[in-house]
Amino acid sequence: MADLQTESLNKKELDTLYKSRAKEMRIQLTSFALMIFMTFIAFGLVALEFNKYLVGAIIITLAFIQVILQFYYFMHMKDKGHDFAKLFILVGMYFAIAFIITFVFIVWIGTGGIK
Amino acid sequence: MATVNGQKVGFGRLIWEYLTTVDHKKIAILYLIAGGFFFVMGGIEAMLIRIQLAVPNNDFLSAGLFNEMITMHGTTMIFLAAMPILFAFMNAVVPLQIGARDLAFPFLNALGVWMFILGGIFVNISWLYGDAPDAGWTSYASLSIASPGHGIDFYAIGLQIAGAGTLITGINFVTTIITMRAPGMTYMRMPLFTWTALVASILIVFGFPPLTVGLFLLTFDRMFGSNFFLVEAGGNTIIWEHLFWIFGHPEVYILILPSFGIFSEIFSVFSRKRLFGYSAMVFATVLIGFFGFMVWAHHMFTVGLGPTANAIFALATMAIAVPTGIKIFNWIATIWGGSITFTTPMLYALAFIPSFVMGGVTGIMQSVAPADYQYHDSYFIVAHFHYVIVGGVVFAILAGLHYWWPLMFGTKLNETLGKIEMAIFAIGFHMTFLIQHWLGLWGMPRRVFTYLDGQGLNVGNLISTIGALLMAVGVIVLVINIIITVAKNDRVVDVDVWDGRTLEWAVATPTPEYNFFQTPLVRGLDALQLEKEENNGVIPSAGPVEDVHMPNNSIIPFILTLGLFIAGFGALFHASGQDWAIPAVKDLPSMRPWSMILLVGGLSITFLSMMARSWVDDHGHYIKKERIEKEMREYEERKRGAN
Repeated sequence: MADLQTESLNKKELDTLYKSRAKEMRIQLTSFALMIFMTFIAFGLVALEFNKYLVGAIIITLAFIQVILQFYYFMHMKDKGHDFAKLFILVGMYFAIAFIITFVFIVWIGTGGIK
Repeated sequence: MATVNGQKVGFGRLIWEYLTTVDHKKIAILYLIAGGFFFVMGGIEAMLIRIQLAVPNNDFLSAGLFNEMITMHGTTMIFLAAMPILFAFMNAVVPLQIGARDLAFPFLNALGVWMFILGGIFVNISWLYGDAPDAGWTSYASLSIASPGHGIDFYAIGLQIAGAGTLITGINFVTTIITMRAPGMTYMRMPLFTWTALVASILIVFGFPPLTVGLFLLTFDRMFGSNFFLVEAGGNTIIWEHLFWIFGHPEVYILILPSFGIFSEIFSVFSRKRLFGYSAMVFATVLIGFFGFMVWAHHMFTVGLGPTANAIFALATMAIAVPTGIKIFNWIATIWGGSITFTTPMLYALAFIPSFVMGGVTGIMQSVAPADYQYHDSYFIVAHFHYVIVGGVVFAILAGLHYWWPLMFGTKLNETLGKIEMAIFAIGFHMTFLIQHWLGLWGMPRRVFTYLDGQGLNVGNLISTIGALLMAVGVIVLVINIIITVAKNDRVVDVDVWDGRTLEWAVATPTPEYNFFQTPLVRGLDALQLEKEENNGVIPSAGPVEDVHMPNNSIIPFILTLGLFIAGFGALFHASGQDWAIPAVKDLPSMRPWSMILLVGGLSITFLSMMARSWVDDHGHYIKKERIEKEMREYEERKRGAN
């Protein structure tokens, strides 16, 4: 077990900590605003009744961007020392996509689609 | 009188210590005792199955009871015996092998073990209730939705609780191995058991969520009126099969990889050589773990997925033979030219190689999708998976028990009895399952409760039953051995009874709760062997003796799990006699309002425990430097006195 940190920080260290936290907060808020904005676009496209396939493609693209923002800025994949977490998430995504493809093709479309 | 942390205590205090412990060594013992109990349960069920099949037209068990037996045998052996016992070894050994003071989350470790124990008890209470699950251990939705009574509900909820515990422990081990290694313990210096524990834990993290999802869907269908698997309401039972096998195939690698790790340690120690091709072994382990997720549909070749899907999954399955083959050849090369000592663990390891290869070869035969139509649902399949699971996992568990017993309990199991046990068990194993290949090819389907006379199946089944009884005799010899060893309580002075090579053999015995007097410094692969060659067996320290911060014991994990256990009964009886329920439970007497009270009450206990854990700060305690120095001196004196 690691020892509990007991000594308090000096003024300069405290300052750096505040600054890095403030920067982190700014980035989080920016990406949050961006994600909300993209969600609005998605809703808007559906409400305006554009071509179905166009809307589908754009929404999936936006979703993809949101996933990246989520992973990198909310789940700290951009930070140093997260190599293992990064590896895990990427491998997990690979498996998840494989499962989804199988489900879509085998279970729902059925064998008729890929004979 | 038993001792806790070096102090003599009464029986009540001992029980309390184990109920509240967060120490990985004690949790290992909890896993071992509970896993051993379920192993015996599953074994008895196996014996009853084999007695029923010993002669044609037997009526020892009724057809319905036979279905319950096979279901509970499979479920118990996989979820409640094999995996927990491997967790016992992982808990006892992995922190010591990497030079850590405990797992990364000791509290979660306790939570994991209690979830497994109470979940396992929940599944087995079905016997007392008189309505055990009967849809096979795979519990295919077409059968499990139709199964009348509450049997399947016990399965779904019990495994949900136990599975959550497993998932928690898996996360714990991944974190521990990644973040808590001693200075110098780089990834490529980790002993192979730690490597396989890491990869198996990763498989748990990725593999158990699909099972959780599947079990939740089943629970909601059976108990809360949803329609995921109800075909007449637009559901699809194939979804269960996919979800189950997306979990189920990695599950067999979760079992076999730590077993490979145990054998790797044993081969290297008892051949007095470093493991041949260490980096290839690590690579093969990771590759098996990765491929393990890409092959689940080979359990479903006959479902009618179509030729494209079958071909893809057949090829992926065959590919797994390559890394497994790498491992087999590396083990053989490790033994080759080594100075071999034939101890009980080594005998098991030597018997494992041919047994596992036979199981692997039949696996490759089944991976050929067109041929699988012939083998499917026959005894050939039963023979195959018992060859890999008994010949691989159970051999590893028994070998590991003899090998790590001195580390876990400070005594040594009798070697003569151990060798007798090994011989009887190995002979019984081959006698039981070798003939089943032929039974399958002669046309005996699996999961049938009896067969007719005059079909040429009589002799084969009788041989198989006699073999099964021999395996039981082997296990009884082991139990006698354990009783004798515990009764004699002949403490070893130095834990390193096998002339071990890895760090776990460098701790004091009995192992202090903080494991190492000083944090060890690792200078290479096989850390202890290296120091035996260069430094007279003394592990260098990474720092001075200092105060060690340790977590406090806590009863919260037990109470939290107890809440889930109680809520489980509430969920179980929720749909009884309701008109929206599925036909299987519709006509049972209604259990309202008790089911609601149990459900809400149990969940409240769980959430209150969570709140208590979150809001009451628990900073743990320090073990003083002076105490550690004193214990270190005492241990060294004991060792000197013995020499």
